[in-house]
Amino acid sequence: MKKYFLLVVALVLVASMLVGCSSEPKSVLDKINEAKKVVVGTSADYPPYEFLDEAGNKTGFDIDLMTEIAKRMGVELEWVDMPFDSLVAAVDSGKLDMSISCFNYDEERDKTVDFSTAYYTTEDAFVVNSTFTGSVVKPEDVANYKVGVQSGTVQDSWLTDNLVTPGLLPEANLSRYERVDQAALDLANGRIEVLMADYVPVQALVAQNPDLTVVYHGELSTGPINIVLPDGDTALKTEVDRIIKELQDEGFIDQLAVKYFSE
Amino acid sequence: MDFGQFISYIASGTVYTVGVTLVALPSGLLIGTILALLYVYGGKAAARVMNLYSTVFRGIPPLVLLFILYFAVTKGINLSAFWAGSLSLGIVSSAYQMEIVRGALLSVSGDQLMAARAIGLSRLQAIRYVVLPQAVRLAIPPWSNEAAIVIKDSSLVYALGVPEILRRAQLIGASSQRYLLAYLSAAVIYFLLVFGTTRLLAMLEKKLTIPSNP
Amino acid sequence: MPEPILTIKNLTKKYGENVIFQNLDLTVNEGDTIVIIGPSGTGKSTLLRCINLLTRPDDGQIWLDNKEITARGTDEDKVRQHIGMVFQNFLLFNHLTALGNVKLGLDKVKKMSDKEATEKAMHELARVGLADRADHYPGQLSGGQQQRVGIARALAMDPRIMLFDEPTSALDPELIGEVLEVMRQLALEGMTMLVVTHEMGFAREVADRIVFMEKGYIVEQGSPNEMFNHPKFPRTREFLWKITELYGKKEKEAD
Repeated sequence: MKKYFLLVVALVLVASMLVGCSSEPKSVLDKINEAKKVVVGTSADYPPYEFLDEAGNKTGFDIDLMTEIAKRMGVELEWVDMPFDSLVAAVDSGKLDMSISCFNYDEERDKTVDFSTAYYTTEDAFVVNSTFTGSVVKPEDVANYKVGVQSGTVQDSWLTDNLVTPGLLPEANLSRYERVDQAALDLANGRIEVLMADYVPVQALVAQNPDLTVVYHGELSTGPINIVLPDGDTALKTEVDRIIKELQDEGFIDQLAVKYFSE
Repeated sequence: MDFGQFISYIASGTVYTVGVTLVALPSGLLIGTILALLYVYGGKAAARVMNLYSTVFRGIPPLVLLFILYFAVTKGINLSAFWAGSLSLGIVSSAYQMEIVRGALLSVSGDQLMAARAIGLSRLQAIRYVVLPQAVRLAIPPWSNEAAIVIKDSSLVYALGVPEILRRAQLIGASSQRYLLAYLSAAVIYFLLVFGTTRLLAMLEKKLTIPSNP
Repeated sequence: MPEPILTIKNLTKKYGENVIFQNLDLTVNEGDTIVIIGPSGTGKSTLLRCINLLTRPDDGQIWLDNKEITARGTDEDKVRQHIGMVFQNFLLFNHLTALGNVKLGLDKVKKMSDKEATEKAMHELARVGLADRADHYPGQLSGGQQQRVGIARALAMDPRIMLFDEPTSALDPELIGEVLEVMRQLALEGMTMLVVTHEMGFAREVADRIVFMEKGYIVEQGSPNEMFNHPKFPRTREFLWKITELYGKKEKEAD
């Protein structure tokens, strides 16, 4: 069995090396300008950053921002919807020119892709349901309860590094979900007591579910959010960073935040 | 958004689910049948290679193969998510279908092959006209099972962003915050697809049953 | 002087260390019915399978119509067309009707048109008395009927010689008669036949020559009269006595 596994790994490595060798070091920016089109990935299941409106079209903070960025680059914008977990790999493999989906900077991710300058800064929140009788005064207090989190997110890393590894929160009491909404379902039916997630979508979640309450929010794991760009492509990064700076200076991004986050 | 729109948004993903299945299942059958014939009738060396193929591809989760094919092997190649997904599932399925066909071929008694050769049919003719028609009948029940698995596994292409049933349920669930309803709708659609397919195959099986006295 | 259709010389077959038969000689003349008898496990069935090349002999030669079929480069499929084989367990193709079974070789080997093949197949089914069962599947036929279809299937190829491998030993006693009757009729029509059987009544009545095989050797062969009434070897007498005792009753029931 081990023999077979090694064989498969070897095959994949050889295949990716062959392909890697053949591609020329050319900026994706040139490709975008030639095609007059930028292909951008997002996971449109994360309101209010990216989600579908009543008509089934993509909308949200990131969507509006990217639409403006493409406009200023002078190219057409083509959206590709993809689950969050696949977006980094898709940029790395050249299937996408860039991805915008509320990405936090992450050292692991930085090894395979680049990050634009931060376009916004977010907070984390702890949510409980109406039957919750405990208390969360400071973030470490959640270690006393059964906690749920979206797997692979910065919140997951924060809980693991600050509570699980030091031995405050038993591993068995941390449930990792593929998606926040799955965690929210378990929170509602009592399988977990506290849900940790990004503060902005949490506000939307709480607005939809009267049983849920935010007991704490603050800048813990999360912080600045960035656009994911192909690794080492300075020309593209310079261009995207320039436009983000321009939009921040003009107050465009603050207007977007008011539009999407203040409801 | 009313309930009708909600359901029809998710249901419109059926096109992709059926599309992926219609690529993966027949391509898996074609490859699987050829490989099974090589496995059973191709001698020891071929059998060893086929056994390796079967072990490798039954040992890899389809999702992993999907990622390998889409993000690594076809890096930079313009292979669409739909085709990468369908072909990955087809490859995985071919390994299972090879085992199904192999089992069926082996269940047809070797004497049938001998009797066919005794009247002068070549080995290939004997396999084609005597062994295969009988094997096909034996293969339908396990194949029906595999068809159901492929229909359900087709949901995995959601990971590449193909807007099939599951991905649509996620998207509309997120925007409406009615996740339970979204997933239940998806479950019902998948169930109907699988149920319909297995019923059709059961009818085919009945139709192909060789008459005999009790 | 009758022409030999089949000549076997020095034929040897082993499975590993296990010698099935060694240096076996046998000649079958045109129109002969030869019955091979002997205890089970003495290589009678293997001999038949060697003759139509379903099993490769280890040594020795076989000639069919003066052509060596054991020679290198022989087209085995061609050879088998000329040798009809009837199996102990009938081995009809389960997914085909009686007609389909008989037609398959005509379609695929003789490449006849569908009309021709159907006519020929129906003729062969009529020959074994089963024209009215043409559209029945093997599972809908009795053992005796299945075996008769098996015979029709072999006959359809117009073989030079028919090999019968214990054609009645898998049948209930009451079904044996109909199969033996078909074989008797074939012998009368002048078909060359090599029959492995325990049916002594058939051997006595129909055989031109009886061959007694034991432990891979031909012990003795001769006309039914010689074999039954004046066997040269005590072993032959012993075997014939035993087998008649054992199968005699069954035969009476069948008749």
